Amino acid sequence: MRKEQLQKFHTGGFNDRLFVTKLLGAVWAGKTLMILTRILGRGGTTLPGRIALTIAPRLSSSLIGQLAEGSLIVTGTNGKTTTTALITGILKEAGFRCVHNQSGSNMAWGVASALIEASSWTAKLPGNYAVMEVDEGAFPGVTQSIQPRGIVLTNVFRDQLDRYGEIDNIRNSLKRGLEAQPTSGFQVINADDPSLVSIENNSCTTRWTYGLDLDLPTDTFQNTGRDIKTCPRCQKKLNYDKIYFAHLGHYHCPSCNYRRPEPDIKLTGRRINSAGTAVLQISLPNEKIELAFPLLGTYNLYNLLAAVTCAQALSIPVRVISQALEKAVPSFGRMETFKLNNKTIIMALIKNPVGANEVLRTILTQKDNIAILMAINDKIADGTDVSWLWDVDFEQLSAVKDKLSAVLVSGLRAWDMAVRFKYAGFNPDQIQIEEETNLAINKAIEKTPPGGLLFILPTYTAMLEIHRTLNKMGLGKPYWED
Amino acid sequence: MALINIYHLYPGHLNLYGDRGNMLALCRRAGWHGIDIAVIPVEPGDKICFSSCDLLFMGGGQDSDQQLVAEDLKSRRDEMRKAIDAGMTIFAVCGSYQLLGHYYVTSQGKQIDGLGIVDLYTETGQKRLIGNAVVNCSLWKPPRTLVGFENHAGKTYLGSSLKPLGEVITGYGNNGTDKTEGAVYKNVIGTYLHGSLLPKNPWLTDYLLQKALSYRNQKYQLLSLDDTLEKQAHRATIRLASSRRHKLQSTRA
Repeated sequence: MRKEQLQKFHTGGFNDRLFVTKLLGAVWAGKTLMILTRILGRGGTTLPGRIALTIAPRLSSSLIGQLAEGSLIVTGTNGKTTTTALITGILKEAGFRCVHNQSGSNMAWGVASALIEASSWTAKLPGNYAVMEVDEGAFPGVTQSIQPRGIVLTNVFRDQLDRYGEIDNIRNSLKRGLEAQPTSGFQVINADDPSLVSIENNSCTTRWTYGLDLDLPTDTFQNTGRDIKTCPRCQKKLNYDKIYFAHLGHYHCPSCNYRRPEPDIKLTGRRINSAGTAVLQISLPNEKIELAFPLLGTYNLYNLLAAVTCAQALSIPVRVISQALEKAVPSFGRMETFKLNNKTIIMALIKNPVGANEVLRTILTQKDNIAILMAINDKIADGTDVSWLWDVDFEQLSAVKDKLSAVLVSGLRAWDMAVRFKYAGFNPDQIQIEEETNLAINKAIEKTPPGGLLFILPTYTAMLEIHRTLNKMGLGKPYWED
Repeated sequence: MALINIYHLYPGHLNLYGDRGNMLALCRRAGWHGIDIAVIPVEPGDKICFSSCDLLFMGGGQDSDQQLVAEDLKSRRDEMRKAIDAGMTIFAVCGSYQLLGHYYVTSQGKQIDGLGIVDLYTETGQKRLIGNAVVNCSLWKPPRTLVGFENHAGKTYLGSSLKPLGEVITGYGNNGTDKTEGAVYKNVIGTYLHGSLLPKNPWLTDYLLQKALSYRNQKYQLLSLDDTLEKQAHRATIRLASSRRHKLQSTRA
């Protein structure tokens, strides 16, 4: 804000009073719509925020401005929801009150909805921190508006190209967002992602980096999601000493010497304890810690490191960080587990090749008696282009097709998925097609053998539908009752 | 036994939008038809000879990758032109379709020379053309539909004697104005459609395989396969492309 505008704002004049009226109106409208949509059994994360922002465009910044410690933004292609939940968990363990958009609704209106929900009817927002996951495309705008104290960048993969064009556009969007952050803030960046580290930006905030320093078994997956084959600085071929998955790893460019920076926070070891939980060794700038971490998958190691690094930047005591992370549970739709009689249902959101490959990798570690339900929608929040399904390595799944007791496909693009499975090597007779997601869930549960596992792999909007159906069956609860 | 040599050009650089699905469709269907397939990946700088290639597949790439491969491709231009004149089949999607033309003007106004093999040129438009597309394609009599998804900033214009691959029913096609989509020159097919294109349009996959076989005078009758799933997916996309929901979602040129 320019100086004269600032003065105007604080004079308590007509414009100021008008703004307060607008803000109140927006919060009332938002809260009322939220109650109505929830009576209808829906999350109400889009409409209330959208309407409220139309009434008072500066709503988010004025609500967040009331928080004592400010706000944090998590953005990137994969891991936003889990990282946001882990950071919130740590802050709560440290005794802070946090607002966060746990539904995963991460456009400008999703942020607004979460803030409206946490604020009072008099537009007062109590608490210390707002921790918000923000869509990469919405990131510059949201940063401009809420002026976050910290920004966490997880990774950049190919995702929803129909919305952003190509990966270069996403990087550009991240750059603009970083430059809009106040200079007193800090950034947390994944050192293993060459395309993130190379984003040149003019911001003079403090930069923290994290990365893996492990020996993991060689990646057998077809990494068609490995977008960064060339050095982001000089466009020559990039060499890797280690690749953890997709283009994440230890890289260096032989021609211009661009290389992975030595991370501030590193994961240096992983062993499985007698209870079957992974115990991780993390090296911090001044000490080493060990903690038992319950979430599965390599991608969750990155989410964990991002959260630890953010907590370090906020000077949260190490003991508190460990305590919080040992209690971590899967986020909404991210390997969420439900029990029905003696069957186990695991729901894992998929939205791009890299994330989906990671989910498949986890499925492959399971034994027999597995049923699979794919639910593929192509609404805007899912990405309207389903060609990414062809970049997912479903061939790995068809290699173990005899272990699968049932394979079902559902959703608005059920037929695309059926064809994908056929070309992955499944026998067409093995693929059951039920476009109606609600019916498909019941069929899938029926086809899951007693004592068996049902994996549901939905895109975002299909996940919301399935969640509602499972809730009606008495499984889990809506995220807003957490 | 019949054999087709497929050269996959720059799989490390041109692999946007599920190009892998097109390769998979060619390989799988060839297998179901009882044809042997040899896939030879070609990366920039590799020593290859087009004289042993029956079918060349080129996918889409991001702008940065495209400039890199354009340089390499230019060193192979004369050889490529010779093979095309002899009847080699090329299937080029999106970015590499643009590369076959005379030039491409980027959003910054920079002109990048293409191979100049096919009589077309491309300019970057204001808005990306994004959405499901259905075209009527007269490679067959009577014409058959092709369905795919397009996502391109480039607007391509064909020379007066160049035939388009199809006529746009839904979507934008080459440039959003003249209702043409893609181009056919000898046995070269260029298109903006992905999705992936070949799995949901099995007749186009078979067309390419048949052309590749005839090129080497291999007399081989393709089998009649059970394409129930593919046809269902094809019809579902046509339904979707003409739905109100899709019209609201696709962007305007």
